[in-house]
Order: sequence, then C-alpha cells, then structure tokens
Amino acid sequence: MSTSNDVQIDPRGYRVGALITFVLAAVALVCGSSVAGIVLTAVLVALFIPGATVGPQATLQSFLFRHLIRPRIGAPATTESFRPPRFAQQMGLVMAVVALVGAIAGSSVVFYIFMALLTAASFLNGVFGLCLGCELYLLFKRTTTRAA
Amino acid sequence: MLVRAIALVALLVVATLAYLWWNRRQGVVRQVEIPGALTPADLGAARGARATLVQFSTPMCAKCPPTKALLVRIAAEYPGVVHTDIDAEQRLDLARRLDIMRTPTTLLLDADGVVVARMNGAPNESQVRSALDALPPGPDYSI
Repeated sequence: MSTSNDVQIDPRGYRVGALITFVLAAVALVCGSSVAGIVLTAVLVALFIPGATVGPQATLQSFLFRHLIRPRIGAPATTESFRPPRFAQQMGLVMAVVALVGAIAGSSVVFYIFMALLTAASFLNGVFGLCLGCELYLLFKRTTTRAA
Repeated sequence: MLVRAIALVALLVVATLAYLWWNRRQGVVRQVEIPGALTPADLGAARGARATLVQFSTPMCAKCPPTKALLVRIAAEYPGVVHTDIDAEQRLDLARRLDIMRTPTTLLLDADGVVVARMNGAPNESQVRSALDALPPGPDYSI
C-alpha cells in the first residue's frame, strides 16, 4: 500500500462526498431496516466500493464535485494525500456492508448500530472535516499488532 | 419513524459535542515529566542542542503534513531546536512506550532528551511557540 504512488486530492471534494454519504446514511437510518432502508444501504455500499479500492478521487461523489462544484469555486488552497480519505472510505464500506448484512438477515439491531456509526462518522467528516477512522488508526494498529 | 428521526437528531448532537470536546484538546501544550531520556538511537535521528520536537505521524493522518511544515518552519527560527518526524506505524514500540494515542502527537525534548511537554493533535502556531518559549534558556554564548 505504501509503495503505490501518492495522489494529491482537493480536500473540499471528499468533504462534499462525505456530506452526500451522510445524507444517504441519515435517510437510511430514519427509514430503518425496511425495504427502503435496505435499498439505500445497498446504494451506500456501491458508492463506497470505488473509494475504498482506488481512492476518493474515483467516487461518484468526487465526479459530481469536479463537474458541478469545483468549476464554481476554483482551485483549492491546499491539497492532501488520498490515503487518509481512502482509509475512511474502507471503514465506511465495512460499516455499510455489516449494516446491509444485518438488515437482510433480519437483525435490525446490527443495522441500527452500524448505520448510526456510519451516519456519525460521515457527519463529522463532512461538517467538521474530522476523519474519525484516521484518528483511531494508530490506536487500532497498536492493539492489533503484537509487540516485537 | 418519528422516534428514529429524534434518535438521529440526538446522535448528531452527541457527535457535535464530542467533536467540540476533541477540538478543544487539540494541540494543547501539556507540561509532562517522563523519566528517562530519549536517545538519538531511540529516535533514529540526531537531537537538537537545545531542544527537539518529535512528531509522530502515520500515512493515514491528514493533518500530519501541515503540522510537519509548521514545526519545521518554527524550529528553524530557534537556534539549537530541531524537528524530527517518526512514522508511528513503523515505530509501534516507541508509540507504546510514550503512550501515543493519536496523530499528530508532538513531544518536546529538552537538551538532555527528556520529554518536557507534549501536544496531542495538530497544534497551532502560538501553541508551538508557547511550548518552545517555556524551555530554559539556551547556553549563554553565541557564535
């Protein structure tokens, strides 16, 4: 992963993308583990796949940002590495998949827990620019990697 | 559906409060006393004659590159102060030993390599300067 070349992205782009994710997740949460909620969760899973594999620059949200918003607001003051937001997309994909599996399997508790996590994380990322997964990344590594 | 909408609003309120709490703590300079010095071998880099800013980063940290730029720029203004950046993912031993929980975390070492202050999260310029200004004065000679 660290051997692949870095790609610099417009940080405003993935925040817009996170806001789109947040709106979809919030609506899915209010719909509950019904047919509408399941369809919306499946849409979220599909939207996360390009961001989690290639990176946030490959998502439909970033396509919309580049063509609809970026031309109106001009070039960004700074750019950022694509790695932290790609990691965030991977976390989002995991949460959305677990929520979807939970809803289909009839466990609405699993659906609500993971959809609430996804809603809160995308809200923090979109509104405040805080990447929750990135904050917890080192802690995660510390607990999952055994001491040498 | 109304109950779920109310639960959603409550979730967002809690998330916002958690963010505000997190943001207030970000970069705050805490004077600490950690016994024992960090040697150049521990750091994998030379120490400054007066002080060393040791930044812990990871590749998944969006605020680490701008923090590094800030610390390098300020360190250059202070004679005898150097900055070093450590990939915490590669140095989990050091991250555990120094209890690094989040990135960026910046430790300030004195001339002997003893940790005297730490800043958890991305600091702003005045926080970095206040940490450096709290150091004992450097050797009273100049070149």
